Amino acid sequence: MVGELSGKAAIVGLGYSKLERRSPRPLAHFAREAAHAAIADAGLRVEDIDGLGTIPNIAAYGNTGDLEGIDIVSVPNMIRMLGRERGIRWHVQTPGLCPDTIIAAAAAVAAGACDYALVWRAVNVPKGRYSDFSRAEARGEHQFRAPYGFTMPAAWQSVALRKYMHDHGSTREDMAAFVVQNRKNTQLNPKAYWHGTPLTVEEYLEAPMVADPFCLYDCDIPVDGCVAVVLASAERARDLAQPPAYLTGYAQTTWPTRGGFTDSEHLWEGAAAMGEKLWASAGLGPGDMDVAMLYDGFSVFLYVWLEGLGFVPRGEAASYIASGATALDGELPLNTSGCSLGEGRLHGMAQVSEAVLQVMGRAEGRQIEGAAHAVATVGAGTLASGGLIFSREARA
Amino acid sequence: MTGEGAPVTKPVPVPDAITAPFWEAANRGVLAIQHCGDCDTSIHPPAALCPDCQSPALAFREVSGRGRVYTHTIVRDNVTQGFARDEPYVIGIIELAEQERLLLIANVVGVALEDVRVGMPVRVTFERLTESIALPQFEPDEGD
Repeated sequence: MVGELSGKAAIVGLGYSKLERRSPRPLAHFAREAAHAAIADAGLRVEDIDGLGTIPNIAAYGNTGDLEGIDIVSVPNMIRMLGRERGIRWHVQTPGLCPDTIIAAAAAVAAGACDYALVWRAVNVPKGRYSDFSRAEARGEHQFRAPYGFTMPAAWQSVALRKYMHDHGSTREDMAAFVVQNRKNTQLNPKAYWHGTPLTVEEYLEAPMVADPFCLYDCDIPVDGCVAVVLASAERARDLAQPPAYLTGYAQTTWPTRGGFTDSEHLWEGAAAMGEKLWASAGLGPGDMDVAMLYDGFSVFLYVWLEGLGFVPRGEAASYIASGATALDGELPLNTSGCSLGEGRLHGMAQVSEAVLQVMGRAEGRQIEGAAHAVATVGAGTLASGGLIFSREARA
Repeated sequence: MTGEGAPVTKPVPVPDAITAPFWEAANRGVLAIQHCGDCDTSIHPPAALCPDCQSPALAFREVSGRGRVYTHTIVRDNVTQGFARDEPYVIGIIELAEQERLLLIANVVGVALEDVRVGMPVRVTFERLTESIALPQFEPDEGD
């Protein structure tokens, strides 16, 4: 049975700030820019916004700052920036990843807790070395990994790719096929950080290794920026400036990681468990998707999601991508905007926004003709991950 | 932070109410892993309750110290305090011989970086960090 929330809410507007790196501008400027762009895109005025939601935590791991307006942009800050001290009827902050916030906002507009909810994710490139771990003591979950120099997210996830390559016989050349295809898509996305910078297979294979088998280009590109979306109920969505992208399916992962990044099998198990819920919530399956925006904060997650969601059997993602099936003219166009690896490290909002643009029919040079259903996933498959399905019509 | 001239050390484990027996054993040169008396499952990292059956009947027991490399990475752009930036090192996810998917993080030592392989037999060795903390590490197991 299709979930009760399916088709009851939609994303009706979308806005980006400029994406920069190590910008002197405070993050609040980026958030304000994206918020106003999203509200205008929907054909609304700031005074129409009566719901707010965000992920208020820093997106980076390590010894980074958490100064309001510089490193994070929380709900109170946005209320002030929009001058909506008296007008906000509903707001929420969800530490984690953006599907949590979007699902909450969709439920809020569908239930009438607010009319128009603005959801944003603002992220920056932290000062100093990325994911720096300068601590003399390793407490709690750190005590079994930090003394071994296992503190960097790229290292945590690179072991999953090593195991995959061993178990399924894939190669770095196979991964190059995806990353290069992804960078090619990125050239059709003017918003993207890597727009204007193509990448060849040779450049990928010769790039500096970060945590072998991950090289530089297996990791997404950290940016300063913000993406915002506006949600409304299906009824309100019909009368706005853009064709609605109806939220027809959602799922959150509740699969715990045991052992703190030791067992990469948990990624696939978690993605599969989430996939079952996701497809059931929409009454749709992998074969119904016209495009897929799968989280690529690290390259190996593509294998996790393609296999976990059931697009291909376990162990076949690498050869599926290499076959050309996921190119723009393939049977499952994948990450058509370049997503995290190509557009920037927006913690899932690159996936959400491109899925929305595709079903709205607004993806410009990368538009997949007639795209009716798009899936977006965010996270690694384990706890805090989420998936969303957007559709051109409210009912499948 | 450390004072001028003092060496910057690796992050030192701080044992807690759940993990203290693991570090106490390691300090004696013994690898001891938490074990559930109710469902006969070994658990690592140590937990408050058995993650499989939620039993609180957990105790630590000595294991063989032998296992295999389940997967590994070579860190070449290090960000952890106490590790030289220009000295790559191997982090192994070690599958202990006692149970499938009983995994433990350690550096694989005593072998060239490029020679570490998935499935390679390894055995425990200990690296002294402080007077009360010794880190279990793993080296190639050539057999007895």
